[in-house]
Amino acid sequence: MSAVVLEFRDVVKRFGSVHAVDGVSFTIERGEIFTLLGPSGCGKTTTLRLVAGLEEPDDGEIIIAGKPVAVPARGLYLPPEKRQLGMVFQSYAIWPHLSVFENVAFPLRVRRESSEAVRQRVAQALEIVGLGGFAKRGATELSGGQQQRVALARALVYEPEILLLDEPLSNLDAKLREQMRAEIRALQNKLGLTILYVTHDQVEAMTLSDRIAVVHRGRFEQVGRPEEVYEKPRTEFAAGFLGRMVSFAGNIRKDAAGCWFEWNGNAARSPLAIIVAATFDDGAPVRLQTRPEDIEILPIGELLPYQTIATVEQVAYLGESFEYHVRAAGVPLVLTVGKKHRYQAGDTIRLALDPARIHLRAR
Amino acid sequence: MSLAATSLPRSRRLHLRPIRLAELSFLLFLAVVMGLPLLFLLTGSFNLSAPGKPAVYGIDNWLRAFTDSGTLSALGMSFTLSVVRLIPAMILSVSFAWLIARTDMPGGKFIEAVCWIAYFVPDFPLVLAWILLLDPSFGFLNSVAKSLPGVDASLFNPYGFWGIVWVHTSTGGIWFKVMLLVPVFRRLGATLEEAARVAGANTAVMLWRITLPVLAPMILAVSVLSFIRGLQSFNTELLLGTPAGIYVYSTKIYDFLQREPRAYGEATALGSVFLLVLAVLLFFYWKFLSGGKKFTVVTGQGYSTLRVKLGKWRYVAFAGCLLYVAVTMLLPLTFLVIGSFMRRYGFFNIASPFTVNHWHNMLSDPIFLVALKNSLIIAGTTAAGGVLLYSALAYLLVSRRTVTAPLLESLCWIPHVLPGILLSLGVLWLFLATPLRFVLYGSVWGIAVALILADSPVTTQAFKAGLLQLGADLEEAARVSGASWRYTYRRVLLPLLAPIAAAVGLMNFGSALTSISTPVLLYSHDSRPLAILLLEYSFTGELERAAALGLLITAIIGVMMLIGRKLGLQLAGSE
Repeated sequence: MSAVVLEFRDVVKRFGSVHAVDGVSFTIERGEIFTLLGPSGCGKTTTLRLVAGLEEPDDGEIIIAGKPVAVPARGLYLPPEKRQLGMVFQSYAIWPHLSVFENVAFPLRVRRESSEAVRQRVAQALEIVGLGGFAKRGATELSGGQQQRVALARALVYEPEILLLDEPLSNLDAKLREQMRAEIRALQNKLGLTILYVTHDQVEAMTLSDRIAVVHRGRFEQVGRPEEVYEKPRTEFAAGFLGRMVSFAGNIRKDAAGCWFEWNGNAARSPLAIIVAATFDDGAPVRLQTRPEDIEILPIGELLPYQTIATVEQVAYLGESFEYHVRAAGVPLVLTVGKKHRYQAGDTIRLALDPARIHLRAR
Repeated sequence: MSLAATSLPRSRRLHLRPIRLAELSFLLFLAVVMGLPLLFLLTGSFNLSAPGKPAVYGIDNWLRAFTDSGTLSALGMSFTLSVVRLIPAMILSVSFAWLIARTDMPGGKFIEAVCWIAYFVPDFPLVLAWILLLDPSFGFLNSVAKSLPGVDASLFNPYGFWGIVWVHTSTGGIWFKVMLLVPVFRRLGATLEEAARVAGANTAVMLWRITLPVLAPMILAVSVLSFIRGLQSFNTELLLGTPAGIYVYSTKIYDFLQREPRAYGEATALGSVFLLVLAVLLFFYWKFLSGGKKFTVVTGQGYSTLRVKLGKWRYVAFAGCLLYVAVTMLLPLTFLVIGSFMRRYGFFNIASPFTVNHWHNMLSDPIFLVALKNSLIIAGTTAAGGVLLYSALAYLLVSRRTVTAPLLESLCWIPHVLPGILLSLGVLWLFLATPLRFVLYGSVWGIAVALILADSPVTTQAFKAGLLQLGADLEEAARVSGASWRYTYRRVLLPLLAPIAAAVGLMNFGSALTSISTPVLLYSHDSRPLAILLLEYSFTGELERAAALGLLITAIIGVMMLIGRKLGLQLAGSE
């Protein structure tokens, strides 16, 4: 069997005139954690529900483990119960009238497993999620974190092709969220699960995923490893949604000697690698973008390339670091910096950008 | 692979067809059972021959109905009564709701529970009880009054305009409004009142300038709804108005159909007029509701912790509430009990005035036993049928997979505003003018069908609320886990909806048991239910026996409602 567990080919899902999923194609390989990251309403949950069979696509093809499960053109649609998936809902969807044991046993009972096998596998699944002694409990007597584990056990109990997780951590408090994140990762390593994960939390996406798809308005803006998407965001949206981005206005200058970025404001002319500026003409208005954590604060002095003058407007002491609100060429920035040097509100400083970590975009 | 590929197209058919099929059959069913009676009502008014005979069309019915001097005055009386009743009812229910929800009156929870119980006390036995208390010749309060010095004539007379108004303030209406208004008062954002306080307003100023104006749209909405529902009233007007020659349109329709031969044409013409008036009223109500978004501050945000301190007046308020409940509920019910055990009601001075004969005679009367059986069949069928039908309808409406949801929804709201007597008249036409005549006319099943229709709005809404509260996730989780729709329904939906189904079923059972205006045109000698028997007892002047039967019905309802409440509470506790 091929290593591709899930494949989307130009899948479209419309709600009325809204294209919730707008021609999306991607594949997920066995044993991979693939995350759909995006703001609410971007179509990531709809994509997940299309995989589950809870929504029917309007166009395209969805293929699970080499088997087409939804091809509207051929009138083919496999209902959710025939797709061999496991899913953890944002609300957990623990059935309140069933005990913990019966909740987890449900998928096995549906599959008419023998009662001995049910007992054994439920116990095993509960053990895996750390709820060994809870089988007899009523489902409603559990805390949020425990309900979440029950939902996870229920999704895992019959070894699904793909585990679908729909914002599973969003209802937990910060500490528990961190812990569950680590546990999901460990579980995936141990069981070799294939996971499709939906979240709007970039930290969750970065720490958990093998690959991330940044979803915006029903389209995949970029798919790649977390570092790749963070370091080399291909679109404005991908850049802004994963972490913060600051941008300085300026123009491209080209002459026989090479290319430069010319700042609007008080800064040194900064040389550009030919390849970076290749797509721009001489004089083209552009924005120079970088991550705030890649900017260094230096005391006032001679301006070197990629340095600019700025004024400190506000200082906040965060304990482990300082937060400076500075303004450079009219652009307000918030920079978090270590405690080695200390600047006061009103000080004039230099900001030093890292030439290896900048992007140019047309203005 | 090949096996899967060949079986796939079939699974799509299985997936989509049942939903569409169910939707279409529901639409067809509702259109037939809700729409056709209305259509028959309108066309029937132009039909000069009796239902089931070859139709002859003309406007004679309308001419005759409106040359009958009583017709217009009956319509006018319906409106006058409904408006006049509304004034004390709104003042009382707003006061009750405010005291319960917004003040530190002791026993607020208790009073609320009492209102809840009082709402379910059927009105017909209460009307009887007021006759026992106020009748000019044998009414107990009149006898007491006459024994006072300086009083020689009867002080009270329930038969007439003010008698009807008074009895209505003690039956269902007020309690229902209190139950509607208490949550509204509770949800009023506390900050609004707190801001008024901080700005220097005392309780009276705050109430007058902030609380009431903010709640005015809701209070008005409840008033208009009560007014429209007040027009449906039948029982009280029949017992207290008819002897005094006061007719409302519903008793007038009944009167037309009691004549020999039955004046179907006139009754239908009158019903049609009222239907048109109702449509106009509803249009304005709907306009008003959809336009009235100015005061959306009544939200769940900031549940009120601020309660108005009444000081020593809080005991007065509590005493006042208790007194009202005592006078309007305990007093009449007590006299219903006394009445049912008296040899001859009102004669306290004869030797051994008390007897169990009425109970004994009633319980051994074969007519009673048949009526009891009929009632149980009708109420049981109504409850079970309503639960099955409307849980499925609610599921369809909530699943969002229907394209005709708005149409389905409006069809199922029709009986909410359609008076029982008109529904019954429409259903009567449907039965008489179609082959249904041979199956449903005059049978217990026909009555059950009409009652199931009458239950559609409340039952559907209850299931919709329940399903929305459960959310789609629980069902979808089962589907993804590998369960078929049927398995999901059996193992997940049904057990979760069971408490709602039981509570709603009990409520429908109760209202089927006490309904008079719906079966009154549909029953025959063989299908007479208890409520109609009660009506007959009171017409023939067998007040003692009527009291016994009224109490029996009230007791059955009481037991059912307590069970229902218990089930309802269990549901709330499990979430």
